[in-house]
Amino acid sequence: MNDEQLLRYSRQIMLPEVDMEGQQKLAAARVLIVGMGGLGSPAAMYLAAGGVGQLVLADDDLVELSNLQRQIVHGSSDIGRPKVESAAARLRELNPDTRITTLQHRLDQDALIQQLLQVDLVLDGTDNFTTRFAINAACVAAGRPLVSGAAIRLEGQIAVFRPDLPDHPCYACLFPPGTTEDQRLNCSENGVLAPVVGVIGSLQAVEAMRLITGFGPDTTTWLTLWDARTGDWQRVRVPKDPGCPVCGTRQGNA
Amino acid sequence: MRIRVKLFASLSELMPDGVKPHEGFELDVAEDTTPTQLIQRLKVPDGLAHLVMINGEYVPPSRREQPVLSEGDVFAVWPPVAGG
Repeated sequence: MNDEQLLRYSRQIMLPEVDMEGQQKLAAARVLIVGMGGLGSPAAMYLAAGGVGQLVLADDDLVELSNLQRQIVHGSSDIGRPKVESAAARLRELNPDTRITTLQHRLDQDALIQQLLQVDLVLDGTDNFTTRFAINAACVAAGRPLVSGAAIRLEGQIAVFRPDLPDHPCYACLFPPGTTEDQRLNCSENGVLAPVVGVIGSLQAVEAMRLITGFGPDTTTWLTLWDARTGDWQRVRVPKDPGCPVCGTRQGNA
Repeated sequence: MRIRVKLFASLSELMPDGVKPHEGFELDVAEDTTPTQLIQRLKVPDGLAHLVMINGEYVPPSRREQPVLSEGDVFAVWPPVAGG
């Protein structure tokens, strides 16, 4: 780490939980972020600013005017541009140390697993259950931690799934595929208060940095729920479902 | 038996007027009531009872057809959240 980098990250290196060792782990880390929307925007910005060495950004959408109320990595001059391109430009400006690669096409399951094998962990900031289930299944197959965030209206949720560790639950243990309808659950149909996605996306960045640097050794899977209408926060432990169709062992699945 | 019901986020409008989600309201239910029956009684629309908790512990879908409630339990429901 050179003098300029030491100064850039000094306020973080000061923390005993991070220190030089943690900062170097961040510099060596590779993180895939799926979705460059309301969650992916702050998550990517904090991970880049905080010194994560490589970010892989995946999204096949273009920036629209109605995105700008909450998708803060994009600007007014980016309307019509691919989101990954717009985000990459902003992140390179934020921190030239971070290597940014972009995936603008939709990935099939094999391609997703291949991508996951090349990173240390994945952040899910997508806007529908179908994609969330696909990302979870790929994380289970590739054995990569999944930092899952979701937000809509005035509600947010965040959880870290560790299919890389034995006997840990996956996203499908909590939300079995097929039980949830996808329609009417995204921000374009329900609305969302701008900073609600910001809070959850920022928490995803915190959890990613916790995983990378290793502070907070507890690997229990908790789902944290936030009702911004009342300011209520709740945390519930997520047990592994032995009958889970994705990671369960009851039917001889791997 | 008497339990306490808390409906969070967008489901809070299904509670009696003036009830705060984190306080909830008391409800008399039969001893053998299942979570699924209770969700129907509370008029939570299909698919919106995404996360069900009893006393802060997650109740997986496989246990929602069983009479798992006891006197004094706190029954909480959160709607699905997938947006990003």
